[in-house]
Amino acid sequence: MGDVGRGLVAIGAGIAVFNGVLTGIGQGYAAAKAVEAVGRNPEAENKIRSMLILGDAIAETCAIYGMLIAFLLIFVFK
Amino acid sequence: MKITVQAEVFSIFILVTLLFIFFFIANKKIRKADPFEKPKGIVLLCAIYVQAMSKLTSDNMGPTAAKNFAPYIGVLALFMFTSNISGLFGLSAPTANYSVTLTLAGISFIMIQTTVYKSVGFKQFFHRFIEPFPPFIIMNFFGTIAPLISMSLRLFGNITSGAIIMTLFYTFTGWVSGLVPMIGGFNFIGIVLAPFLHAYFDVFAGLIQTFIFITLTTIFIGNELPSKD
Repeated sequence: MGDVGRGLVAIGAGIAVFNGVLTGIGQGYAAAKAVEAVGRNPEAENKIRSMLILGDAIAETCAIYGMLIAFLLIFVFK
Repeated sequence: MKITVQAEVFSIFILVTLLFIFFFIANKKIRKADPFEKPKGIVLLCAIYVQAMSKLTSDNMGPTAAKNFAPYIGVLALFMFTSNISGLFGLSAPTANYSVTLTLAGISFIMIQTTVYKSVGFKQFFHRFIEPFPPFIIMNFFGTIAPLISMSLRLFGNITSGAIIMTLFYTFTGWVSGLVPMIGGFNFIGIVLAPFLHAYFDVFAGLIQTFIFITLTTIFIGNELPSKD
């Protein structure tokens, strides 16, 4: 693979990681809502924390797939 | 056939040996400790840790199941945290290798599926895949193996990206300090700035990822238990 091909692979990996932006926005929104919920209802803190982590984990799967594709692009297409 | 041994294997052996020595000493101390006196030192540390782990598991699974799962969760958290911060001590972090994280996530995955099998029985275990109707088998299949992939890749990605960023940082600061005359190749910028980045990427990210991994394991298992009392 030539220099141009290597550069294109790097660009592709960059685009694949870019979907982490929207995941970040979504997780920040979820965390803000969790803070609100704890402020309104402090005795439910444990339940809110576990729900927040579960929801964030599922939302983060999307970003992780992007990262996986970026890793594959970088390390497989040399 | 050529067999290559990866550096992570040696780090795992070193970490497990250190943990074994720690557990051995703690066991001796705890056996000798007087239960009617205030604990101190290593005994107090162990008591606090065990209490925290039992509380975390019983919050997510209910007290009866927590008794079975808390020991595994506690040892898992200890091993994972020491693995994550072992990059600080010059070892190559075992959790930066995908085989290790896939194995750890695989253990959790098998525990989740065993819990499902125990709580719903043989027939319902396979019937779950074609609910509400047969074409859903594709979605249900991926939904079942998603925790395996996401849990292993989350840990691996965080630790690996931390290691890659630290390598880039050292290379960059080495290049910048090479531009300064008189000092030559001595990387003085990296020495000043690196501790903060190490504190974030190794200690903080390692602690957070450990917490998320054990919390997700307990939540996934707790969701499949028949009733939380």
